[in-house]
Amino acid sequence: MGQNILIFGETTEDGHLRPSTTELFGPGRALADQLGGSLNVALFGGEISPAQAEAAQFGSDRVLTAISDLLRDITVDAYSVALESAIVAADAAIVLLSGTTAGRDLAAYVSGRRGAAHLVDAVHVAIEGQEVVVRRPVFQGKLQTEARAHLGETLFVTVRSGSYAAPTAQTGRAPETAQLNVALDAADLRVKVVDLLESKAGSTNLEAADIVVIGGRGLGEAANFTLAEQLAEAFGGAVGATRAVTDLGWRPHYDQVGQTGRVIAPKLYVGVGVSGAVQHTVGMRGSETVVAINRDPDAPIFKLADFGVVGDLFEIVPLLIERVREARTK
Amino acid sequence: MNIAVLVKQVPDPNAVRLDRRSGDILPGTPLVPNEYDLVAAEAAVRLSETFENVQIVAVAAGNARETLNRCLAMGVDRAVVLATPSSALDSLGTARVLASWLKQETFDLILTGQEASDGGTGNVAPQLAALLGLPLVSNVIGLEYQNDALTLKREIEDGHQVVTVQTPAVLSVLTALNEARHPTLKGIMASRRKPTETHSADISPEELAPVVRWGSLFADEQTAAGVMVRDEAPDVLVDKLMAFLEERKLIEPA
Repeated sequence: MGQNILIFGETTEDGHLRPSTTELFGPGRALADQLGGSLNVALFGGEISPAQAEAAQFGSDRVLTAISDLLRDITVDAYSVALESAIVAADAAIVLLSGTTAGRDLAAYVSGRRGAAHLVDAVHVAIEGQEVVVRRPVFQGKLQTEARAHLGETLFVTVRSGSYAAPTAQTGRAPETAQLNVALDAADLRVKVVDLLESKAGSTNLEAADIVVIGGRGLGEAANFTLAEQLAEAFGGAVGATRAVTDLGWRPHYDQVGQTGRVIAPKLYVGVGVSGAVQHTVGMRGSETVVAINRDPDAPIFKLADFGVVGDLFEIVPLLIERVREARTK
Repeated sequence: MNIAVLVKQVPDPNAVRLDRRSGDILPGTPLVPNEYDLVAAEAAVRLSETFENVQIVAVAAGNARETLNRCLAMGVDRAVVLATPSSALDSLGTARVLASWLKQETFDLILTGQEASDGGTGNVAPQLAALLGLPLVSNVIGLEYQNDALTLKREIEDGHQVVTVQTPAVLSVLTALNEARHPTLKGIMASRRKPTETHSADISPEELAPVVRWGSLFADEQTAAGVMVRDEAPDVLVDKLMAFLEERKLIEPA
């Protein structure tokens, strides 16, 4: 059994480490030290030299690379082959991936092929005896549990982004490097990426706004989203949406705050009909003051709220819009 | 075209409450169809309405009778329950049970929800794709089919990605793909004449031993030391909220 840690270093199109990947280096180092092993990073892509430098700065012992045009797009077909090769080269006990779409697809697919454990959505990872233990949200973030798997066969852990801070980058480090031998044929790539309809910046600059109003599924239907818009306008802030809302097509994808969307940290966050599913809250945890308006007193958003209003948003929000307008024109 | 839709029955997400004594959810929490899985069923039914000779089977590992009936009423042709020797399957065990049956038949498309609202691992579709040796496309929000080729839109971190893949393939879908229809009375009547088969999964208990085990459930104790107001007239609630916002100087003159 290996005693080393392997980080899947997901890169952006321009060859940098994704921020969520840099967050894996802290827990990766701690786990490697605990097992008495080394910290390895796998980098795949077309052009990855920026990520190679970053992987060194964040403190990897060994950087394993696979460079190929067939690895330019992240596909499960190509990346699973490359990851298998990296696991063998690293003699990995644990593979750490960030909980992105690619990370989760890849960990689940390779774990399925190997009959191995995949611990998903970890907000905390530790080794206890001969087991890996992760804390993770379940039931859409309403509850948590500890999920466990035995060390032995290589196991996979995907870490929820925002759970760990990236370590401070240090220059002057020179990890060992090795090129992986990845045998890929264009015919192996059954899923072909043909286009990316990019997220636009959005009509408003969500990240820069001091006040952000988020509309959630509790608004009931697309037409009611105007309530969130009017409240944002009254505050002089920006409006965004939860994943549930963009999933339903009430708002465009680029307005989404959360796991596959944007990350905000305004002075004031106001959630209207937002339940607080982790897919959303991962994008707003840095908010200074959180206000939530929701009918369900058990909605997880209230656990994050500095001020929670339990009630019917259709009664409360119109009154609030009026009062905020008055207060600001005084 | 043969389509399999994989469905799961989950505790009603709106009714999930922690039972602190047992470290589990409250006993007797009603079970409902997993929402994403109904979106998968809807996608299959729409294909059957567009193309000829489409046969759809809804498959569940373990008990999901009401959910399967719902699928039949939506327009799915038949249902299969795969009886499992153990109720404590993890996602890999579930994928293995499903694979053991699916590999006996021929499918052009295997559709399921991106994740279940209870465990939420999202593992089953990718693990199943790996076990069956089929390509996987996750986070699907757009689906077009023509001559054994699929053009799919998927939601990823950078926006909407468009991919193509030949059938057979495994797809996991998000709610943005469609809105699952409510069964009509006619659909419900028709569903009663549709077959539901039960098979025991042809798989050894050793292969179904969980590799991932859950501990007790607990609530996130990281509660903000926040104020909650409730059970008062809306204008009183708004007064209190305004006082809070003004005290924190969060309302600035326009």
